[in-house]
Amino acid sequence: MGLVLKGVMQAPVTPLNDDFSLDLPTLEKVTDFHVRTGATGITWPYHKSESLNMTIAERKAGAEAVIRTVARRVPVAIHVSSLAVRDSIELARHAEDKGADCVVAITPYFWEPTPQSIFDFFVRLGTSIGLPFLAYNSPGYLSGVEITSDLLARMIERLPNLIGVKEASFNSEKFLELSRCALAMKPDFSMIAGVEYLLPSIPLGGRGSYSSAGAICPNLVVELYRSCAAGEWAKARECQYKISRLWMIFRDQYPSSLKGGMVMMGRPVGPTRPPLPTATRERQEYIRTQLEDMGILDSEPYGW
Amino acid sequence: MATFKPGLVHAPVTPFKRDEQIDFGTYAKLIEFHLANGAQTLAVPMHAGESVSLNDEERMKLIEYAIKRVKGRVPVMAHASQSGTGVAADLAQRAAALGAAAVVATTPYYWTPPAHMLLEHFTQIGAAAGVPFFVYNSPEEMGGVKITADIVLKLIDRLENFAGVIDASLDWQFMIEVVSTAQNKRPDFQLLTGAEYMISAGATGATGMIAPMAAVAPRAVQKLWDLCVLEKYEEARPVQESVAALRQAVKPLGVAGLKAAITYMQRKGGAMRAPLEAPTAAAKKKLVAALEAIPALRDEPRGW
Repeated sequence: MGLVLKGVMQAPVTPLNDDFSLDLPTLEKVTDFHVRTGATGITWPYHKSESLNMTIAERKAGAEAVIRTVARRVPVAIHVSSLAVRDSIELARHAEDKGADCVVAITPYFWEPTPQSIFDFFVRLGTSIGLPFLAYNSPGYLSGVEITSDLLARMIERLPNLIGVKEASFNSEKFLELSRCALAMKPDFSMIAGVEYLLPSIPLGGRGSYSSAGAICPNLVVELYRSCAAGEWAKARECQYKISRLWMIFRDQYPSSLKGGMVMMGRPVGPTRPPLPTATRERQEYIRTQLEDMGILDSEPYGW
Repeated sequence: MATFKPGLVHAPVTPFKRDEQIDFGTYAKLIEFHLANGAQTLAVPMHAGESVSLNDEERMKLIEYAIKRVKGRVPVMAHASQSGTGVAADLAQRAAALGAAAVVATTPYYWTPPAHMLLEHFTQIGAAAGVPFFVYNSPEEMGGVKITADIVLKLIDRLENFAGVIDASLDWQFMIEVVSTAQNKRPDFQLLTGAEYMISAGATGATGMIAPMAAVAPRAVQKLWDLCVLEKYEEARPVQESVAALRQAVKPLGVAGLKAAITYMQRKGGAMRAPLEAPTAAAKKKLVAALEAIPALRDEPRGW
């Protein structure tokens, strides 16, 4: 399998035209921006990319654009989580067919599946492709449905192409239970924090994270990873506190405010699809004052 | 208000006799064991000390006994949580009068008050305590009721003696938000992790830890603490994993598991008080097997 994911990987938002249609040329720009500003991997379309507000055909078109734009500079993973299991499998096969390096899937939505049905789902997905894949754990958003360490051990044993977990509980106990189980079985396993909570996760065996703030302040995100990996904890805290403050702004109705903030950084990506709101002019202005207060307007790239 | 830094806090269990009366003889031994094995502060009686199963007079008697027994060797923090604000405030005031160095209170049992009522609840308890006052955030135990960073900042405004948060949510989002904003406002603000997950807590800026597991494995807890104070997280990780393994072994049986583990180490945890039950023979066997599988326990003291 060979693929080890690490560092701060970026998930481009999905740019939309004013009529809410997919803006593929700007998606290519966002993707290229991330690769140029230090992303160690690209994954699309996460929830942050409004994955669930797109049709399967749109997701395929976007995935092809992202794979083409990255052009093998860093690994590309395609997020295939869909309401219907069949759609997830179809997206995973499409990703493999189009040259993705990896696939990511969350525990099934809505049904509050038992551990056995979560196991069955991942076996079905993992055996339908030859690609490596990441399992995505997000109990906070899925009524407590989660991948426990017992379940993860069974999955690792059964599925050689399971190379990591995207862990979005942001909880010390949950993260450590998964990391100590997985790393004992498979030392190369990639424990990846859901967004850039690197300071609490790297010392527990985390290899990296996805990112909420990379489209706003890529320099800060890269510096956070560097300082955590180097054990420069005071510096890491300084970076982490700022990035966590941004996450508090973006988290609610994610990614509406993030898209609003991108306007303020000279990287507009259009509206957000309903039911999510689009950041108002006032909201954008508020975000700008926060970015200014944190010194981000002066230390980060403006425009593409 | 002088700064109070609880540091490494041991939280003794409350041993009962078979007739459910408090076994003060064994309690004295437990206190001496904790003091001889690294406690920088004692917190009595926390949930691990079955606080909620003691009536108010017993709780006061226990706190008084602990304070007299400790004789100033370390500070004693008194746990004053109750459902009713007035009842809790009364406990807090009496504990402080007995010589408690600090008082801690959770969100109210059973009720699920909105933020402004929580603020009022804590304000009254803290004002009655007069001594350094901590709030305890444990949404999983308390019907999902959370202490927010906003409530904490308001408590800083309202109470000169508000000293910090003990966090059992282990949620990185909350920990980082609260420590970064509260220390900004009150530099000696203390964040304690409510369980032995010190690596992530320490990295994010926490200044203390509540460690009920110290009654079982005081050396590992001490080593974890010492390495985290030095920010040697890489070295701390194997120790953290051992302590986590211990916690996970005990967890299915709750306080009964903790008491059984203390007895397994050839000390005495004492009987449970209703409604908690003694573990069944099968459950005890499972616990013992899990404890046997933790190599670090071989380096821990047996007996008193």
